[in-house]
Amino acid sequence: MKKVWILTGLILFFKVQAEAQFLKKLQEKASNAAEKVIDRKIDEKTDKLLGNGGNNNTETSNTQGTSVSGTGAGAGSNTGVKSGRMANTQGGGLITSPPDVKANLSTAEDSFKGGNYGSARYAVQQAILGVEMEIGAKLLKSLPEKVSGLASQPDQDGVSSSGWGWAGLVINRTYSSESRQFIFSIANNSLLSAVNQFLMGSGAAIGQSTGGQQDWKQILIKGNKAIIEYDADSGYKLSIPLGQSSLLSFEGINFSSEQDMVAAVNEFNIDEIRKTLGEK
Amino acid sequence: MRSILIILIVIGLLNSAGAQDFANSAQTAKQSYSSGNLENTRFALQQMLQSIDLVSAKEVLKVLPETFGAMSAQSAADQISLGTGFAGVVIHREYLSGDKTASMEIISNSPLISSLNAMLAMPFIGAGNNGERMVIKIDGYKALIQKGLEDQKVTYDVQIPLGSTLITLKTENFTDDIQKLVSAIPVAKVSQTLN
Repeated sequence: MKKVWILTGLILFFKVQAEAQFLKKLQEKASNAAEKVIDRKIDEKTDKLLGNGGNNNTETSNTQGTSVSGTGAGAGSNTGVKSGRMANTQGGGLITSPPDVKANLSTAEDSFKGGNYGSARYAVQQAILGVEMEIGAKLLKSLPEKVSGLASQPDQDGVSSSGWGWAGLVINRTYSSESRQFIFSIANNSLLSAVNQFLMGSGAAIGQSTGGQQDWKQILIKGNKAIIEYDADSGYKLSIPLGQSSLLSFEGINFSSEQDMVAAVNEFNIDEIRKTLGEK
Repeated sequence: MRSILIILIVIGLLNSAGAQDFANSAQTAKQSYSSGNLENTRFALQQMLQSIDLVSAKEVLKVLPETFGAMSAQSAADQISLGTGFAGVVIHREYLSGDKTASMEIISNSPLISSLNAMLAMPFIGAGNNGERMVIKIDGYKALIQKGLEDQKVTYDVQIPLGSTLITLKTENFTDDIQKLVSAIPVAKVSQTLN
């Protein structure tokens, strides 16, 4: 009797397990079929949106079946309809006029009177920006058009100002030919006074070296102390600290000698630059 | 009462001096600009910035509470440091009651502060470790509170970033509810005055 019960139990157990496996397989098949139908529908919709019509339906099915990827996407891009981010092909850029100094001064006064200090500060910063841009433009205008036979490149002229007041102003001009380049920059910044003191302060500490290759030394340019450097990779560099907070920097690439470089620097009216920057 | 009156009068006089400086510099800037002296205009504008910083810093000192928790303001120790470039404007106030102290510093108009604040505003920075660091909101602004122990004294460091302004508070021996204490800081008013 006991054996019969055990046998019946085993039969029932295996039957249930077999049914479970069968049901699981059935469920997987149904799930796969449903997924395929959904994928096909999605592909149809996508193709319609991309303008491919129904032409690629078969390809898409084949793609799924044979695991070949990329067919649908390639067909989509061939139609010429843009998807994703477009490239900008028109627009006039930004207006480069500097802030209106007088208008910002008025705004600053009004805001200050009304106790709106944040707005007053912003307006003064804008006014500083405007004035610094004007100083930069004036300086660029006063610079020579040609230096050492090299023509200026007006498209590379640059004036940058942060409007922070103490952070200052940087002005750049480039002169170049096929084989040579001369880059001039002016930095006007209250923090530069420390740099200038370091550069010009102690002759003993910054004196020229006496042995081996001479890479830099102090010279005089129109009565102003200057430092000239030479590097085989970057060429000549000449720096002139001006007054309390300005630094003139000249870089000569492919200049044949120190004399050539100094002659190019001498073409600049340093006194005029000093005057425009208000340096003593 | 008399000393408070004297302090208020002195602050009022200093404020009017700052306002007068602003008006004078504005006048110089206008005249220099009209006559084409750009460098003088620029210098006068920089002076105007300093006047704005001074006057607004004094306004901030006015809106700070006279009593903070059980501690009272030490007005004689109030300080304003101006025009130090990267450091911006620094406003300093101290509070004291017995052995409890609180020192508040408000640094504004510094580009360095902007980058520091961007870092403080990162969401993970406030992830607490053992509840000793937490982020709360005061007047709608996020603040980072950090509890510490220095020489057997309980300390709290509080940092409240507001654009290019940073409010910091450091307390010593303050063992009461720190959140209740910092909620007395008029963050919105400070932000409105400085930013």
